[in-house]
Amino acid sequence: MPTPALETPAALRAIETSLSRAMTEMPALVLLLGAFGPLLVERAWLREAAPGWIGPGPVVDADRFAQGVFVLADSGFQDMSGHLPGAAARLLPVMARSFPALEPEITVLAAALDSGALSPEALAAAGFGEPVSVPGVSAQTLNFVASELTRPFVERQAQDLAALVKGLPWQQASCPVCGGAPNMSVMRRIRDESEFIQAHGGRRFLRCSSCSTEWTHKRVSCPGCGCEEPEDLLVLRDPARPYERADACKRCKSFLLCLDCGELAEAPDPDVAALTMIALEAQARREGFTPLAEHPWSGL
Amino acid sequence: MPKAIFIDTTHCTACRGCQVGCKEWKNYPPVPTKQLGTHQNPPDLGPYNVKLVRFSEHLEGDTVRWYFFPDCCRHCVDPPCKGASSVEGGIIQDAATGAVIYTELTAKDDLETIRGACPYDIPRQDPKTKRLIKCDMCIDRIQANLLPMCVKSCAMGAMSFGERADILKQAEARLEAVKKEFPKASLLNKDEVAMIYLVADEPAKYYKFAVAEAPSPMTRKSLLAGVFSPLRRMAKSMQG
Repeated sequence: MPTPALETPAALRAIETSLSRAMTEMPALVLLLGAFGPLLVERAWLREAAPGWIGPGPVVDADRFAQGVFVLADSGFQDMSGHLPGAAARLLPVMARSFPALEPEITVLAAALDSGALSPEALAAAGFGEPVSVPGVSAQTLNFVASELTRPFVERQAQDLAALVKGLPWQQASCPVCGGAPNMSVMRRIRDESEFIQAHGGRRFLRCSSCSTEWTHKRVSCPGCGCEEPEDLLVLRDPARPYERADACKRCKSFLLCLDCGELAEAPDPDVAALTMIALEAQARREGFTPLAEHPWSGL
Repeated sequence: MPKAIFIDTTHCTACRGCQVGCKEWKNYPPVPTKQLGTHQNPPDLGPYNVKLVRFSEHLEGDTVRWYFFPDCCRHCVDPPCKGASSVEGGIIQDAATGAVIYTELTAKDDLETIRGACPYDIPRQDPKTKRLIKCDMCIDRIQANLLPMCVKSCAMGAMSFGERADILKQAEARLEAVKKEFPKASLLNKDEVAMIYLVADEPAKYYKFAVAEAPSPMTRKSLLAGVFSPLRRMAKSMQG
């Protein structure tokens, strides 16, 4: 399958612009944005350079897909372990600078990778949640670092795979590419040249926590349990930032962050937007709701 | 990066959502109006109506053609009004967006000179404060990453806001599509303004000042005003 260059410099600019704006608007988050921002930028660079899906894509049966069988249900992402040492050389120094408390463990991890004590294959497995141990590195740190290293390659492959099912019906709340749970939703206005009145609210897209694929989903419904009862669906928001909110469900006690781009001149990068919603996330947790899926910074 | 607004009048139904949205956002007071035999209301732009959907009816054979034109400041790339101003800091151009802004200092400026310099007859004066008034592209909203109110309010999707380069591309593409049905369609003064209108027929049928009086917005009157503005500034400063 040809691999189009889907990641454009515009996406990188969007991250940098969003970070800059967020730091100006929310000085209280400067430390958090300063820590995760460089990581997001470096990840985007790696994603742009990543190879994507190599060779013919999985065969998609439209009927099975419509019934909820996601693209990678019978296989998985292609092995990206060969690219991980190069990615580690770029990403680990950034992570060590951004997260000084993790710097000693990151140094141990980099040494283990250099010496062969930790193979790229084992690192990739750790990125997908497999139990792997490295002496001197906690399981939590290893999981965080490994998932950040594999993510650019996963996202790049997912971009190619999502193109295979573009236009096919998908009504699930899980990712059509990898089956992952959403950790974010975005309302986007889709421009069309029809002669009819256009909805101002925009369509709702869920965003996969694993591969960042976006797919459309019912606007007023809980992706956790499918509840559509207005009295059970709660919206938490800060009046000063009305385009950011947490959509919570009283029935299943889950919540999902939501960025409403309908009124925005420029849609921010969704990861940066999720960072700026950390206070909303904390509020939702305080009120007894749990996220459908987490961001790396969730719970900080 | 300069911004621009594309106004596709082929999509406009004259609902006046933009007009009302603008007035609401600016918190302008109501004004007395008159019924002049047209749906256009109020009859003209004013200090409390900086956006106005102009209506224009034309009988062509047996067919009545109705043209709608959401009129407001074009935010010229090289604004003649700024050149004509004799008050330092009265008329400024925002570097980030290209929006032309009239500050409170315009109260010391001369309406007739500024209005005369405008090829689109836009500036008006607040009778209470004497400040000159026009659309400011919703600079406060743009700086907060929000769409200008007229763009947000447009139910028909006739207005788009974005980077100037992107908006020009969008406008050119739309013009090409519209020309298949309306060969006289054109983009009005697209290289000279930030409010880029697409009209399907001769611009004069929409409104007298739909296009600039001359190919360049720098009319003789505004050119002269610009030439003499430093002298007027000097005279004003000497007068205190």
